Amino acid sequence: MSLFDKFQAAAQARATLGNDRVAPIATPIESVRSATRGTIDGKEVILAGTNNYLGLTFHEDVVKAGCDALESLGSGTTGSRMANGSYDLHRQLECELAGAFGWPSAMVFSTGYQANLGALSGLAGQGEYLLVDSDSHASIYDGCRLSNAQTIRFRHNDPDNLDRRLERLGDDAKKALVVVEGLYSMMGDQPPLAEFVEVKNKHGAWLLVDEAHSFGVFGERGLGLCEQTGLLDQIDFIVGTFSKSLAGIGGFCVSAHAEMELLRLASRPYIFTASPSPAIMAATREALRLTLAGQDLRRQLHRNIERLYSGARDMGYQMGSEIPGPVAAIILPDRATALAHWRGLLDAGVYANLMIPPATPSGLNLLRISLSAAHTDDDLDQILSALDNVKRHLEAA
Amino acid sequence: MSDQRSQVDAAIGKALSIALPELESVDRDAALTSDIGLDSVQIMNLVMEIEDELDVSVPVDVLAEVQTLNQLAERLTTIKESENS
Repeated sequence: MSLFDKFQAAAQARATLGNDRVAPIATPIESVRSATRGTIDGKEVILAGTNNYLGLTFHEDVVKAGCDALESLGSGTTGSRMANGSYDLHRQLECELAGAFGWPSAMVFSTGYQANLGALSGLAGQGEYLLVDSDSHASIYDGCRLSNAQTIRFRHNDPDNLDRRLERLGDDAKKALVVVEGLYSMMGDQPPLAEFVEVKNKHGAWLLVDEAHSFGVFGERGLGLCEQTGLLDQIDFIVGTFSKSLAGIGGFCVSAHAEMELLRLASRPYIFTASPSPAIMAATREALRLTLAGQDLRRQLHRNIERLYSGARDMGYQMGSEIPGPVAAIILPDRATALAHWRGLLDAGVYANLMIPPATPSGLNLLRISLSAAHTDDDLDQILSALDNVKRHLEAA
Repeated sequence: MSDQRSQVDAAIGKALSIALPELESVDRDAALTSDIGLDSVQIMNLVMEIEDELDVSVPVDVLAEVQTLNQLAERLTTIKESENS
């Protein structure tokens, strides 16, 4: 009997991915030299497996802001905001985020994962309810586990199913926080947000939208799906991350309710952790400025999205989402085919993501390509050509 | 066996036929993960079918406490009985 016995199933699952030097999980990236170029196994590759949707990681202004803050304010805060002090940079970024949404309150967290942990566990407590989409990200589920609220799942992207579950709660539905995502990271699909809003209003429930993958991508100012659908004034809370479009690390929660400021006194993942470093805060402020004014970046990103989706569909691939988005999930029939695609693309100089159960919904095996505004037409040519070659090779075998 | 329990057992049978048809005749005292080999997503999908069939919501923490279909049936029966009381 060993503490490690329970990991054997995971170890066996990993073994099915082969023993090649370059593993499809936690793939070693030796160096990165731009938003779209890195080195894997000694070879330059196109990075199409990151979440660098606006391609800002190497933007001159972002890097300079980070370097300046590193030099002037040091490498870290060495403690939490509650116990060890709150920097001007933290408050400035929070004010800028709140201002972008036109809302009275914003909180920054040290990671996107902690933003969901901190928001969900703090907002919903004993005697209250969290109603979460069944395809929710692990950070949402973990936030629910940390909360003392009762967690109930509803069917993915199914407002009728949510309606039935809120109905069963009766008057308690007014104590329910409904959680959906603006874009689901595995399949790349979006929620029917207007219908969810209608259901939560019908029952007097609250609504939190996690825009981790949709912030920067959708809406005139890049605020996410809520902005794009014109529903911002119907939403109570929005959670987001700095580690995708905003090209850093950290997360945030903004709210239409000024009382959310009280969450600072109750959210353990906010209170009991070191605050984000000055360099990250400064770089993120700059990335936020570029994102809000980034209409050209979004236009380029969406051109790349349309091109990848239509190219893949023309080859006969089934995509995880009907509506194209920055996550292009290609559904493959089994693990071996998905692995062959992943390796085929890497051999052709394209790094994408292999996604397999249990991380995926419905036991699906996926090749996930993440698009960036920084991808060029030539990059798209190479990605599509690599896909085509893999498909032909596998069909001929 | 109570009417409520019979109803729950029937709902589990129907949900199995929809979500995991290959397991329709499975031993309901077998552990869902270690004996039957289901992963967490498969279990969640199965429970979702059962919930729809019985028109109940099963809190997620209940799932963490049950290991077999019969244990799940007991919890579901309790939930149904509390709804009707």
